[in-house]
Amino acid sequence: MNHSLPTPLPVLDRLLLRAVSHITPVSERADWFRCWHAELWHRRHPYSDRVHGAIDLYPGLLSDAVWLRVECWRRATTGTAVLCLAVLASMSLIAMLPLLALFSRVELTIAFLSTQMPRLVIEASLTTVVGFALASRPVESSTPFEGLRFMKAKLFHASKLVLVQIIAYELSLALTQPFHSVHALAMVIVQAQLFTLLALLGLRWNFLDQDARCRHCLRTLASPSRVGRPSWNFLESNGTHLTCPDGHGLLSIPEIETSWRQNSEWIAQ
Amino acid sequence: MQRLSHTAALILKALSLGYRFGFEIMEVSGLPSGTVYPALRRLERDGLVESNWEPEDEATQNARPPRRYHQITIAGKAAALAVSERYPLLTRLIPEKQA
Repeated sequence: MNHSLPTPLPVLDRLLLRAVSHITPVSERADWFRCWHAELWHRRHPYSDRVHGAIDLYPGLLSDAVWLRVECWRRATTGTAVLCLAVLASMSLIAMLPLLALFSRVELTIAFLSTQMPRLVIEASLTTVVGFALASRPVESSTPFEGLRFMKAKLFHASKLVLVQIIAYELSLALTQPFHSVHALAMVIVQAQLFTLLALLGLRWNFLDQDARCRHCLRTLASPSRVGRPSWNFLESNGTHLTCPDGHGLLSIPEIETSWRQNSEWIAQ
Repeated sequence: MQRLSHTAALILKALSLGYRFGFEIMEVSGLPSGTVYPALRRLERDGLVESNWEPEDEATQNARPPRRYHQITIAGKAAALAVSERYPLLTRLIPEKQA
């Protein structure tokens, strides 16, 4: 960005501006460059008797660029399906740490978890059946939800389901395994019950999370807003609207189930 | 209304008293540039502050580049009032801007 300045910026300022500008996101780089070009110029040429150096602005210049970059990443990743799966995968690794501490070696822990795999499959299958049976309030959609988007959504749902069950199983093992030597049979029963409880809670969260995501991009819906008048329950619909941050649509959730409006509805934009 | 940090409150107070530029706020608040500029960005993201460019003509006439200035929004004024109640000493820390 060039301006016909009576005195140009010193070489150091120009080099620094050019170098740091690469940290900023491309979409905001020109504006950032123009802004800091002006800030440095005015710092060096104040309309007063005092003459400042611009060195005290250098940390601001750098931290401003870093802030823009981090904000760009935050906006791009907040509420996305990838972030959700990454967090769940990290949690499954963290949930393995108590077992790792118990067995003190990675190979022993993996060998132990391998022996538990058949039980995990049986218990997870049963809790999944129960979890699906307990799931209620399906979301209706004004537009057909099929094809690649449908496959992506189902794949994401299934991945979360598997990860949640793994976390629940690891936690149940971590909590009961230290007492296994005291009473083995009792701990097997306690572990199964603990797993069922944790897995059902996880499945419940999974369904709620899936319902509260955009049908198009799978980002978490945001900006809840109340609609309708609560006192008019029998005359008109009232509830909450959640919108996709990327503007793909909104989810209308009724406050109470009525004969004319039982389920949440996804309205594509 | 979200709770503001002491730094954000100080910056908001400076803006409400008429300081408009980053290093004006640095000088009046005593905060370093590495704190002031990201805080201004955060306040702008949260809708408490808005920024605009000076008119190009005005800057060209004065043979200087146009600067971006910040001003407090209506929501920001409400937040500044709230923080004045929360941090009563803030009003003494920042002097009113002279015209």
